[in-house]
Amino acid sequence: MAQIGEAIAPVATRDALARGRLRASLVPDLLVEARRIVNTVIAGWHGRRKRGIGENFWQFRPYVDGEAMSRIDWRRSARDDHTYVRDREWEAAHTVWLWADPSPSMLYKSRGAIVSKESRGLVLALALAELLSRSGERIGWPGLSDPFTARNGAERLASYLIHAADLPAKPDLRNLRRFSDIVIASDFLDPVEETMEWLDVLTRRGVRAHLIEVCDPAEETFPYAGRTEFTDPEGGAKLTAGRAEQFAADYRNLYVARRQELSAWCKRLGWSFTVNHTDRLASEALVKVHAAMTIDGGYAGARV
Amino acid sequence: MSWLPLSFGFPLVLWGLVALPVIWWLLRLTPPKPQTEVFPPLRILQRVLKKEETPHQSPWWLTLLRLLMAALIIFALADPVFNPRERLPTGGSALALVVDNGWASARDWDRRVATAERLIADAEAASKPVLLAFTAEKPNAEIGPFDADAALDRLRAAEPRPIPVDRASVYGRMAGALGALPGATVAILADGLRTPGDEAAFQALLARAPESVVWVTPERLDMLGLNASANEVEGFDVTAIRAAGDPTPRQATVGAFDDKGRRIADAVVSFGPGETIATGRMTVPFEMRNDFASLAIDGEPQAAAVRVLDENSKRRRVGLLSQAEADGSQPLLSPLYYIRAALQPFADMIEPASPDLAEAIPELLAQKPAMIVMADVGTIPDTARALLVDWVHEGGTLVRFAGSRLAAAGNDEDLLPVRLRLGERALGGALSWTEPQPVSDFPATGPFADLMPPSEVTVTRQVLAEPTPDIVDHTWANLADGTPLVTGARREDGTVVLFHVTPEATWSNLPITGTFVEMLRRIVQLSRNQGSIAQSAEGTATSLAPYRLIAANGGLVPPTADARPITATGAVLPVTLENPPGLYGSEEGVYAHNLLSADSAFEPIVQPATAAPVTELRYAFDESMDLKGPLVAAALLLMVLDSLAVFWMSGMFSRPRARPRAAKAAATSAALAAALIVLAPLSDQAHAQDAKPGDQQAIEAISTTRFAYVITGDASVDSISRAGLTGLTAFLIEKTALEPGEPAGVDIATDELAFYPLIYWPIDPNAPMPTEAAIARIDAYMNQGGTVLFDTRDQYATGLDGAASPATQRLRDILENLNVPPLEPVPADHVLTKSFFILPEFPGRFNGSPLWVEASLDASNAENRPVRTGDGVSPIMITANDFAGAWAVDESGNAMLPTVPSDPMQRVYALRAGVNIMMYMLTGNYKSDQVHVPILLERLGQ
Repeated sequence: MAQIGEAIAPVATRDALARGRLRASLVPDLLVEARRIVNTVIAGWHGRRKRGIGENFWQFRPYVDGEAMSRIDWRRSARDDHTYVRDREWEAAHTVWLWADPSPSMLYKSRGAIVSKESRGLVLALALAELLSRSGERIGWPGLSDPFTARNGAERLASYLIHAADLPAKPDLRNLRRFSDIVIASDFLDPVEETMEWLDVLTRRGVRAHLIEVCDPAEETFPYAGRTEFTDPEGGAKLTAGRAEQFAADYRNLYVARRQELSAWCKRLGWSFTVNHTDRLASEALVKVHAAMTIDGGYAGARV
Repeated sequence: MSWLPLSFGFPLVLWGLVALPVIWWLLRLTPPKPQTEVFPPLRILQRVLKKEETPHQSPWWLTLLRLLMAALIIFALADPVFNPRERLPTGGSALALVVDNGWASARDWDRRVATAERLIADAEAASKPVLLAFTAEKPNAEIGPFDADAALDRLRAAEPRPIPVDRASVYGRMAGALGALPGATVAILADGLRTPGDEAAFQALLARAPESVVWVTPERLDMLGLNASANEVEGFDVTAIRAAGDPTPRQATVGAFDDKGRRIADAVVSFGPGETIATGRMTVPFEMRNDFASLAIDGEPQAAAVRVLDENSKRRRVGLLSQAEADGSQPLLSPLYYIRAALQPFADMIEPASPDLAEAIPELLAQKPAMIVMADVGTIPDTARALLVDWVHEGGTLVRFAGSRLAAAGNDEDLLPVRLRLGERALGGALSWTEPQPVSDFPATGPFADLMPPSEVTVTRQVLAEPTPDIVDHTWANLADGTPLVTGARREDGTVVLFHVTPEATWSNLPITGTFVEMLRRIVQLSRNQGSIAQSAEGTATSLAPYRLIAANGGLVPPTADARPITATGAVLPVTLENPPGLYGSEEGVYAHNLLSADSAFEPIVQPATAAPVTELRYAFDESMDLKGPLVAAALLLMVLDSLAVFWMSGMFSRPRARPRAAKAAATSAALAAALIVLAPLSDQAHAQDAKPGDQQAIEAISTTRFAYVITGDASVDSISRAGLTGLTAFLIEKTALEPGEPAGVDIATDELAFYPLIYWPIDPNAPMPTEAAIARIDAYMNQGGTVLFDTRDQYATGLDGAASPATQRLRDILENLNVPPLEPVPADHVLTKSFFILPEFPGRFNGSPLWVEASLDASNAENRPVRTGDGVSPIMITANDFAGAWAVDESGNAMLPTVPSDPMQRVYALRAGVNIMMYMLTGNYKSDQVHVPILLERLGQ
């Protein structure tokens, strides 16, 4: 009998070179796909629409006392009796960290899904990298690179990923600074407590996080029936169910409860929490995350 | 196991049942293998699954099922036999079987064979030689000794014969063969009927001091036989016999069949308690009785219950002679008129061509009549008289009527029953004192004894018999004054009858009463046909070939190879293998050779006394049953159940979405099984129900003429096809008498094609290739008279290099699988060019592509007519001009697509081409005849 789900990449082989090659062959495709997705999103991208430090003209406004005399735009002020100050559009680069879960459990792809969870996570991360680097943001990959600004940010991230020897299962999040954002694409299948503990450092640092839960439809609907032996791709643990369909309802409850708990926690912290199924399009999640990042200018995380 | 009729061939194998607990333990430990699945959220699932222990053991019912399976197989290996039969006590050095296979064995022959098979099987077990003899076979048939296999072969090859058994000779031969094998067991499989010479036969057989005797007889002698039949005046009598000593009453139905085997009458024969003879009567009209060819007792499939009938019970031939027949203009005065009218219903009349008695009498006698009626014939020429006397002496019945000539002729001792006084006597009249005399009661001794005397008959004139002492014995009817009216006498085998009055109503009014008919009828009944071939050719015995023989099962069959011609000498011939019962002769005349004669009787056989121990048996089938097969079958069934259960446990059936193929297979098999179960008893109903799904569509499709187009699956192509045919339909309605219905799109794979005269098939190279089955349907459609118009629509798509366009290539692929006749572009004198409009070419949206049709190879156009002759309609047309594109109109009737080149006339020509094609389709070569009309009219001079 054919299986419902499979691990699409060999999990046991931890050989760095093989892994690197694998990723090298994988990433360019992802990059292309990420570009494609970004192009659909960028139409709604309207810049900062705020005054701030930048090079482009934003507005003239009347001079108020206390401001530096050097900021007065004399050419404009000469036209009438008021004194105007030239404002420029805010163009301060923002730091956004991107991270996709490389753990073996992400390699899972069920029959109903289009891609594996890992692929989807990487696509989302690279697509955001493309998106953000186009708008001049600083992007970084925790544990892999420091934040940088580049027009070809996605390519650079991708090349880093290709050459990364062995990525840690959980990155060190302690060197993230305030006012930065982090996008985490993972399946969050660890117990909620562990996840919260891991992400707690972000709340303390005042980083705003955007969690994308990449989930496979089979994980959510539990279509198994009959006598089934389940294997954990991470630990290799095995579990045999006599009549798997009997546990479907309970399992679903637990699965959704985990998600709700995590989602509620994120909401409370002002973070965004997005669920993306691998049988749906990546752009759905991208639009949502993008909207969440732009709604309040990226500073909401500072409220903590 | 006395409580259960069960025995085992290998009882030791049953010890294998001891292993069942071990198997049980093993089975408990090996549950069915689960399917393995990678599942990342295992840790969540773990929390759920904690509630249930993982089953390490199979469910109890699965274990039970498998244990049962193992037990069944062990039982099957032990070779169990249900109802084992006991071995027959056949000691001795050999087995001598004498089997009766005469007619009495036919009914339960299988049972006899089964009994003999058992005896032979026991002999085989003891590896003894077998002597096997049948009592109704040829005297030189081999009797052995055989080994058991050869004996079984012979036994199965033997069959019952429709003849009596001949025990004496066969037992004698068997006794001779037993001489070499002393101390054998003799098994006598008798049919239960005694035959003459039984005692001597048994003595001869048992004289060799056999080791033991097995005496097998049927339980009951319940056979019936037909031993006589007689065609009497009132009906047809049949006599049936049964074996003596049957205390129960019994009824049987005897059916009468004509020569084609159709049942035309039946009668019931009833045996009272203890009676052995019963008689039944078929009261059917005389005419029908003459058609009887055979009689058979219902439900008695054996030869004795069938009786064949020959001419003796058939319709009589009656010769008519008269000397005053000349005046045909006054038929009522003809002396034979009333005789003919009276005899017509129940006898065949033969009349001589010549009025000259010297020629007429031999002519009549040559036709061998049963009776000759002479109306007032006086003197007979000597030569003819001698023949006539011989005929009477051999059994003929001569009926004479008086008249003036007879009264004038002298006495004739041989041809008159009584001496007559010369002259006639007149009763009443002007010169007589006497009164016309009525008829008195018929004498009880005569054949008319049970007839009512006619009170209205009066006799005014008669010839008188000399009063002799025996006159009363010869008198069949009297007048009231005692003088005889009808006299009759035997002359050797024959009868001579004289009516003392004329056959016309001059001397008396007897001939015009019903009594006259009855009397003649009686006399006819008394007569016997003299024409049976047995007595032909001046009495020399002829040899008659077998014609229809009675088979052992009572049926009438063509002659067998063993049957020899019979020599009918009049004596009762024995029924033997060479002369089995049946009809001998030919269609013209047959001789019935029956198994039983009137004195036959069924007597039970007497068991011979012997010193050897006798085992008495009855015929019976072997009822022991080998249980090995059913047990193995049951085990196999359990195995199937087990497999299904394992499938079920592994979730095969409860995951229809995730396992589409497996589920489909399972569903298909389940549906098949269900269909088999449901359909088996319901098949009658299914036949009874006439309406079928799809009837409505079929009625709609054929209620008007429609053109069809093939749905390619490409919406744009299909819509153009539809619009094109709609446009053509509108054009046809406008221009012609044809008013087709809405065009229909057909899916060639599923829809019924036979409803449409023409199917337009635009070739779309992008559409999937039709399946082989669909192409086969198209092929059948073309063979059954339909026409397919292929349109590749690529007239200008072909490249300069001459390579085929994709559409053409696709068309070639399709045609590869069709039976395509030889093709040719439409020739100038083809009927297509003239079937409605006169068209030199067939443009569509494009112009230039020829229209390919079936080549009319045998068409001739010798006389330079405007159109060639030739039969049939081309089943295929191919064009590249895109007809539908040119025809296509939208709802408002405007053309949808431009023609290339854009020429309005080209569209008109395209529509005309379509009209011509449709007309050609619907009228065939009628138009090719029609074009000759002007020439024909010219020739007629109009």
